[in-house]
Order: sequence, then structure tokens, then C-alpha cells
Amino acid sequence: MIEIQNVSKQYHTLKALDKISLTIPRGEVIGLLGPNGAGKTTLIKLIAGILFPSAGRIKPIDGAWPIIGYKPERLLFPNNLKVHQYLELVAQLSNIPRSQVIEEVNKSLKRVGLREAAHKKIKTCSKGMRQRLGLAQILIGDPPLLLVDEPSNGLDPEGQEEIVRCLHELHTAGKTIVMSSHQLAEVTEVCTQLIILNRGKVLYQNSMADALAVQAHTIIQVDRHLDGVSSLLQRLHPEIEVEGDTVVLSNEAMALRRQVLSLLLHTNFDVLRVEQKRVTLAEIYTEAMR
Amino acid sequence: MKQRIWSLTTFFLRNLFTSLTGLIYLILVLVYWYIFFPPEQGTPDYDNYVLIIGGLGAGLSFLVALSLAARANEAANYPFLVRLPSKVEYLTAVLLSTVLATTILQLLVALLALFEGPDMTLPLALDIPPVWLAVNVLAAVLALHASDFATAGWSRVYIFGILAIFLFGQNINESVTNWLAERAGRLGSFFLSRDIIALSDIMNTFSAWLMREGTETLRQLFGFIFWPFHAISEAIFQGFFNPTQALAPAILLLYATILFMLAADLFANKDVDFTE
Repeated sequence: MIEIQNVSKQYHTLKALDKISLTIPRGEVIGLLGPNGAGKTTLIKLIAGILFPSAGRIKPIDGAWPIIGYKPERLLFPNNLKVHQYLELVAQLSNIPRSQVIEEVNKSLKRVGLREAAHKKIKTCSKGMRQRLGLAQILIGDPPLLLVDEPSNGLDPEGQEEIVRCLHELHTAGKTIVMSSHQLAEVTEVCTQLIILNRGKVLYQNSMADALAVQAHTIIQVDRHLDGVSSLLQRLHPEIEVEGDTVVLSNEAMALRRQVLSLLLHTNFDVLRVEQKRVTLAEIYTEAMR
Repeated sequence: MKQRIWSLTTFFLRNLFTSLTGLIYLILVLVYWYIFFPPEQGTPDYDNYVLIIGGLGAGLSFLVALSLAARANEAANYPFLVRLPSKVEYLTAVLLSTVLATTILQLLVALLALFEGPDMTLPLALDIPPVWLAVNVLAAVLALHASDFATAGWSRVYIFGILAIFLFGQNINESVTNWLAERAGRLGSFFLSRDIIALSDIMNTFSAWLMREGTETLRQLFGFIFWPFHAISEAIFQGFFNPTQALAPAILLLYATILFMLAADLFANKDVDFTE
């Protein structure tokens, strides 16, 4: 959908982004991770067209720029408006015919669970409502590309869960989403692509499935030392490791867990624990930042 | 495009008139009316009526444009800006809302001033809108260039610097041109001492020209861009516009158009950094 080619962004003496090249494919949810000042917000603002690159270029892959829905990090709204008035204005700016504005606003309010608050003044809305209002406005006009900066910033766990649910629904509806977040659990749950930034550089980039599949392993713990069967087990696959009373199956060897379990049971071991372990996003993040 | 610009314009107008700033402007124009058109005294002169309310319009337009530019420059408006196919639509909405807000406030004073005011005939009344409108639009565009919202880099320094040079230039006097002529003469002597005859001749000719007729010519040259203002005030005092003077409001609008195109270019090509 969007291609970012060698993009750098310089603010006076600070290099916010340094020769970044990325592709944002259609229908993917891209999670931008990184510490404060890593360049996440700058990258989102560049895609939104709010900032211009100091070098490099950002271009749509298939010709025309898509309509963009953008939720900034800070929850700032024109406080003198009511919730529905704000969304009506966004709808009018999104080329929605006047006759369909109300319907579009109601649809987006329903989607984020804000219908009850439609006639509330924005200044009287809670933080959670404002966060949802931020999401409601990006849904107006059904833009194919959504840029969401810190979607659940400052929300309680329930609110965060709601945001995750909403983002899931949007992904299922085929939206392309670029989101930045400090919530690793949220990124793990929602994103299909992962980009870790620091000091304006991409440190890590992978699909979420591949990222989490790396170093996946199964642990089988039995009731006593495995000395007697360790050579038998290792003959099944070189990636089977035996350590005391524990068998660790890595990568392709994980497919052999039924055979390993059967062998252990036939040799009169009691299986105490079988655990499927995956690398966590926290581990990937820590590794990338090192 | 029309729907988007109009929606933003009404948003900015509503934003202004439902705020304390809007109330202050309203009080300000009522005070202005009370001072310049006291109801118990009456103001029968047509020229005073047009010029005093026109002056109010210019000043008000400048201030309202600054206020609206500051409001448009708020981070809460990022989602609006992102929705627009062109950033220029956003700038246009700020300009349009300025002109409308100023017109509303100016009309309020104009209507109030008609009580015990000049006898207004239709031909006289029809002369007024182009004059007020042209001045208001120009003042609004100048204010955009003065604001953080549309300015980029040193652009406002260049624009207002050039304006200041023209303002200074139209009031240039003999002592300034004599001083310039003396400097040009010295430069001519300097080039002569270095055997650069061609440049020396040019400097000496320029020095002689400055001494002979420089003051008046420079005054006319620098004053040329202010001609529409002189033409409008002359026409108002004489009570009608002759064909040449009738061009003056159009030329002011031309200035405004050029300056707005410059502002649009600056705004469309700069990093938008709204205040949070």
C-alpha cells in the first residue's frame, strides 16, 4: 500500500529518522515499538503527510494516496463540540454526502461503543471515552489506512481490552493499520508485522508469526533422571536435548513430541509437565534494544 | 472541496464566536462604534463613515486572522488536516472564516453607525463593499504571513521587511538621497582609483541622478504599490470613483491573491507542527 524509501527526518540537529526503508502491505497491522524518542510518532506523521521527509520518499505502491484516518498520541479535541458534532465535522471533511453523515457517525459510534455519549460535550468525556472517540473519528469514511499513535495510552485494563477488540475487528475488516505502542501485550495480540525502532533506525523487522515462532520449543518433564533413554531420544532428532529430568524439543523436533511422549511412557517414566514455550515479544524487544 | 472548506469555515467561526475571544471582539467593536459614532452626536459625513469603518475592518481583520490562525494551529485539528486532499483547503478555510467574522462585526458597526449617520443612497452604498472587502482580505492575508501558522522559516521577516522598505521608501527625503548620492560618488572615486572606469562611470551617473531627481523618482517608485490606498481615499473624499480609481480595490485583491498564493505554497510545503 505504501512504500517508504530511505526516509530520514532531521529536526535541526536531531536526526529523528535515519534512512528508513519499509513497505506497508495492504491488510496488515504494523506495530511500531521502541522507547520514547525512537521515531515512532515521526514515522506516523510522515505517512500521514503532516511532516515531510528531509531525505528519501514515501509513496503509494498502487498509484493514488489512500484516504487516511489518523489518531494522534495526545487525546486533544475541540472541547466546545459535542461528540456527534465532532464526528459530523470529520464526516463532512471525508466527502461523505450530507444525507449520509448522521448514519456514518452513528455507525462509528456504535462500533466503538460510544452511542450513549453522542450528545455529551467532549470536555466532559472521560479519558477512556476520549480514546474511543479518537478511534471513532478514524473509522469515519471507511479509510483503508489507519494510523494509530498509542491507541490505549492511559487506559485501564478493561479499556485496553476494548481497544484491542476494536483493532482486531478493523483488521478482520481488511484495514491496513500502522500503530505505535508501548503495550507489548497489545502489539502481540493485534499486529501481524513488527518493527522495532530506536534512535531513528529500524532495529528489527519481521512478521509477528515468524518473530514469535523463532526459538519455539516444547519442554517435557518426567519424574526421574533420563540417563537411560537420552541416547534413544537424541537418535530421534538432533534437536532433542536431554537435561536431567527434562527433554527439550526445538524447531523441527517439536513435531516429534507424540513419539517422544510415547517412548517415555513405554519406558515407564511418569510425565509431570508438557509445556509449549514461545519466545515473548518482551524477549525480542530486549534482544533488539541490546 | 466546497463542502470541506465550508465545514471547516463554520467550525472556525463557531469556535471563535463561542469563545471569550469572540466576546472580546464584540465588545471591542461596540466600544469603537460608541467612540467614533456616538449616538447622541451623529456622524453625517459619508467619507468619515467609509474610512473609519474601513479602518476598523482592516484592523479587525488582522486581529481576527491572528486569532483564527492560532486556533487552527492547535493539535486537536490534526485529524481534520489529514482528511483533506490538500492542505491549502485548510488555509483557505482560515482565510474565509476571517473574512466572514470581520464582515459580521464590521456590518454590525456599519448598521449601528447609520443611526444619526450619513444619508445613504444606493449608488453610495454600492461603492462601499468592494473597498471594505478588498482591504479586509489584504489585511487577513498579511496577518496569515505574520502568524506561526502559515509562516515558514524566515518568510515573515522577508515579507514584512520588504513592506517596511517600501513604506520607508515612499517617505524618502532629500537628506537620505543626498547621503546615498554621496556614498555612490565615493564608490565612483574608489573604482576610479582602481582603474575600473566602467563601474566608476555608472556610480557617478547614479550619484548625479540621485542629486538631480532621485528623491521624487524613488518616492514614486516605492509609493507605487501604495497607490490603491491613495486612490481609494481620494475617491471616497470626492464622493465617487473615477474609472482609474475604480481599479484600486481590484489591485488590492490582486495583492491579496499573490500573498495568499505565497502563504499557501509555504503552508503546503512545510512540516505542520500544531501546538499541543
